[in-house]
Amino acid sequence: MTRRMWMWLCAGMPLSRPLGAGTPEFDRRVRSVIDAYAHPKGSGPLGYANIAAKLWLHEDLALCSRSLEELLAAGPTGDMFWMFPITAIAYLDKGQLSASARQALRSSFRTYMPYRGDTENHWLLYYTSLYLMAQMWPGQDGGQWYTGKSSEENLREAAGWIESWVRLTTRRGQGEYDSPHYMGLYFLSMSYLAEWAKDPAMKKRAAMMLDYLIADYAAENLDGIYVGAHSRVYDRPVLEKWLNVSSDFGWVLFGLGRPMDPPDSYIIFYLLASAYEPPEILKRIATDRSQPYTHYERKRTRNRWRFFDDLHGPVYKTTYVRHEYAVSSDQGGALQPIQEHSWDVTWNVPDPRGVENTLFTLHPYSSLVELETYFTFPADIGISGVVSSKKSYDSPDKFVGGSPFEKIFQDRDSVIVLYDIPPGTRFPHINGFFSKDLVDLREDPSGWIFATGGDAYIACRPLQPYSWMPIEGGGKRLFSPYLKNGIVVQVASRSEFTGRDVFQRAILALDLEFHLEPVPSVRFRSLNGRTMTFTYGEIPQVEGTPLAYDRWPLFGGPFVEAAVDSEQLILKWGKMRRTLDFRKLTMTDTP
Amino acid sequence: MRWLLVLAMLPMPVAGQYTLYTCTVTSKGYVVGAKLPPSGIFLKSAAGPWRHAGFNLPFLSALDYDPRDPSTVYVAAGNGLLRVSNRGEQWKILTGSDVTELLDVSVDPNAPGTIYFSHTAGIQVSHDAGATWSDASSSLHRKYTAAIRVDRRRSGVLVAGNEEGIFRSEDGGNRWRLAGAAGIQVLHLEQSPHDPCYWLAATEGGGLFASSDCGVTFESNGNLGVGRNLYDIAFDPSSPNRIAVAGWGPGVAITEDRGKTWQLRNSGLPAPTVWSVAFDPASPGRIYASVHEEALYVSNDNGLTWAKDGLEGSAVFRMKFVPEAPQR
Repeated sequence: MTRRMWMWLCAGMPLSRPLGAGTPEFDRRVRSVIDAYAHPKGSGPLGYANIAAKLWLHEDLALCSRSLEELLAAGPTGDMFWMFPITAIAYLDKGQLSASARQALRSSFRTYMPYRGDTENHWLLYYTSLYLMAQMWPGQDGGQWYTGKSSEENLREAAGWIESWVRLTTRRGQGEYDSPHYMGLYFLSMSYLAEWAKDPAMKKRAAMMLDYLIADYAAENLDGIYVGAHSRVYDRPVLEKWLNVSSDFGWVLFGLGRPMDPPDSYIIFYLLASAYEPPEILKRIATDRSQPYTHYERKRTRNRWRFFDDLHGPVYKTTYVRHEYAVSSDQGGALQPIQEHSWDVTWNVPDPRGVENTLFTLHPYSSLVELETYFTFPADIGISGVVSSKKSYDSPDKFVGGSPFEKIFQDRDSVIVLYDIPPGTRFPHINGFFSKDLVDLREDPSGWIFATGGDAYIACRPLQPYSWMPIEGGGKRLFSPYLKNGIVVQVASRSEFTGRDVFQRAILALDLEFHLEPVPSVRFRSLNGRTMTFTYGEIPQVEGTPLAYDRWPLFGGPFVEAAVDSEQLILKWGKMRRTLDFRKLTMTDTP
Repeated sequence: MRWLLVLAMLPMPVAGQYTLYTCTVTSKGYVVGAKLPPSGIFLKSAAGPWRHAGFNLPFLSALDYDPRDPSTVYVAAGNGLLRVSNRGEQWKILTGSDVTELLDVSVDPNAPGTIYFSHTAGIQVSHDAGATWSDASSSLHRKYTAAIRVDRRRSGVLVAGNEEGIFRSEDGGNRWRLAGAAGIQVLHLEQSPHDPCYWLAATEGGGLFASSDCGVTFESNGNLGVGRNLYDIAFDPSSPNRIAVAGWGPGVAITEDRGKTWQLRNSGLPAPTVWSVAFDPASPGRIYASVHEEALYVSNDNGLTWAKDGLEGSAVFRMKFVPEAPQR
């Protein structure tokens, strides 16, 4: 038994994290967010979220009506991002709006045609809103709807898509999985349907999906921060992780971390609908970091329209979580366009605001092929069109994005990342993010880089020479301009060693062999005492046993369990169990 | 007799009045999140000004009409297949949640109510004017299909272009056979109005491909557009050998000898970044070209000189002259 295994068994940590001394209870957290939107700072005109919050509080009704009419008179914009706020207002109205404001709202669904979008969250917002509005105004013919279809046709189409999305998600996972930003849109959509759908089956399905989605996040959060890998994340929040929507949900749902100031608008719409408070078992899962654990998930790629035979490819996630840090990864590859985040180390900090508590590497891939795989826009405006809204996409120093030339293998808190970048590839180098908040960064003559993040000791072994580039705002970028490349990363808790020097000596004593030709290949005996073997393009092995990708669960680990294609999910904590069965639409709690 | 010979040599205007329909997005200077300037269908009849018809919806890829009822056009759109009637004012989405981001549409002129569209995941067909749909691409290996055309000689004969080349079906899309441009993304297809056995295909990077055997086989037409992207093809209704091609790089290229030689006709255009071209069937010599985020341009001398004709700041991805009365 290794020293660290022994320490895990002997660790006498509290079972779950209690609410911090200053953290208000759930109802007060909900109310504080609603108040923030109902009473915005400054004197600008009210937006849809402000109107909705005031309607929830039954206040300033004349102002709400007038503001709504002004917004609608200016012309709706934003497609499905307009639909979901206006739908909330329609349901929160309850006779409070003026007749003319209500009429303007109704007319807008005849005169404005929102785009349905090209992304999973777009479609869910679109069909959730259309479903609820068609439900609100039944029996109307196609002349009253932008679709040209009757209320019943709209309702049927929307219900059909929502049901198919639930079925696909509970069988093969989300395509836009684990996004610390877009998660809010899935949460709010299910919150709407759980609260406002009249059909008992739709209502129940949505309520169960709330548990499902919250569990997906709960098992991979570290004090509210959604740890990688992610399908989509933005440039700034991939570094300062607190700046994600997940911070709002972590705080409101579980009292974890800190909400953004002001909270993002996604959380307000979640709260104005069902304001669903997670059950005790989910709270335990979200907060219990008493024992290290490995959590597995299978997701899927976004729709791949071109260049692949299968519409959805599998995504295999591994997330190792303990109180001090988390390490998470997918298998690498271009699984998502533009904003993929494939692996990282996240260390826990008492106050994450302004802190860049993460470390990772990537190949800054930029390619029309990637865009054409997932999008339909013409080739000549593909990259420029993306760059108009995702500024960093075609930048050599970017820190988001997957690459087909990156392969990742994680075992607990050890990661091997390999790169084999073809000659002629745009941006033929790798980037590594080394935060300003790393402490005591040292480059050992052996080639290992040592650093400390919070209570996490981190060791990195780049496989090729590198240099350091400054990052605006702090930190530095590891720049390694070699096509056959890679990095080995080992993380450990400060509590496992008597000091950093001891950790360093332990790392230097580990067996590490690698070669780069003809393809990168690593053999590494980790701190966990397990030998990891990984050759680019081949199935990784632990202790000589290949990873069983074909048996990868939809969810697997101590807290959440689901088999591929099962349409079931089992939540676990201690002896508590909650089983969600989406085929039968049943939810069973034990004991 | 001599007068008859002279008349036969002159370009012949096509009888009747036409309306030019465009699939337009006014995107110049647009910032994501801001309110989109009027976009969608802009149309112009023979002497009238441009008019924005119907919804402000930018995601329109292509349109076609039923020659027996040209007052109704079908539009391939991001939201599905749109039926647009009442001179652009009345819209209905004919499809459901099973298809998205439509790319092309073609109405079978010999089979009333039969409409084909191509989309991100294949081809669908309706035989009842859009009331019901079925898949017509199950035997295609790759599904993303940018171009679909019905052979106007016979119902059920189709030519389609996807990421693996040009394919032809003789049974309404049940079975497909590779016809050319293997491994090349096809972006557009057109059948000559003068010779139904002559077809052209525009591709991404591979240039033009031509068929002289009724679409059974396609061969490279030469170097025009190779390494660049060609987006549209227009046959001049009044001159059998005149064809225009639009692309990024070539801009507007015109042949007067049915593809043997091509001349670039970009003098007066602000950039050779052209999405679409269309000959005016009612005015021989008049051709329109849409230049990316600049404007729609018109030429009255087959592209020798150009002048702006409105839609400034727009990208017109496709345009089509639609007759104002049924064609016989």
